[in-house]
Amino acid sequence: MRNKLKVFRAERNWTQADLAAALDVTRQTVNAIEKGKYDPSLPLAFKIGTLFEMPIEQIFFSGAEEA
Amino acid sequence: MSSNKHSSTDLNTRINQSSRSLFLCTTAWVATTAVLGFGPKLWWDFDVTLTLIALVLNLIAGIIMLTANFRHLMSMDELQKQTHLEAMAITLGVTFIATVTYGSLESVGFLKDTQPTNILFVTSVSYIVAVIVLWRRRTSE
Repeated sequence: MRNKLKVFRAERNWTQADLAAALDVTRQTVNAIEKGKYDPSLPLAFKIGTLFEMPIEQIFFSGAEEA
Repeated sequence: MSSNKHSSTDLNTRINQSSRSLFLCTTAWVATTAVLGFGPKLWWDFDVTLTLIALVLNLIAGIIMLTANFRHLMSMDELQKQTHLEAMAITLGVTFIATVTYGSLESVGFLKDTQPTNILFVTSVSYIVAVIVLWRRRTSE
């Protein structure tokens, strides 16, 4: 699964640490999600969607889909 | 994002508290294990009642340590949790294989006296290595 987390985070001028704090996870977890090394659970994906005020399919998409 | 700082502190606080609790419970278990191991011979000359008390205390401390370990796991964030659970799965497999192989060494005559406690060393090392490797693989910058 791929995502635009880094793009949306950068648009808001948030650091990985800021985002990690908002999501109650470690900065390493945010980094792993951004790099596609870890797919978040559904609750965390929804939490990310709520934080960025957009549906999760706008943030996360399958590798086959166009970014 | 001001309220978010609070959340991060919560995660760190949770992990710190559960780590401290796990450390104390593990220390207590090690202490009761030492008392059970050395007490009968050194302190109370194999008195059955005192040995039974030491045994029960050791079991209780072990159960408390298990509970603390579970709470510690639950206090982690989801990537940490998954890393530790995968490391536990690897450790289970390694321990199983090591136990069978190590046990066979005695039956085939390669070793004369195998100690079951040596397997604990394999378990500990494989768990630590698995956690480090899995964590670094996922979180490398």
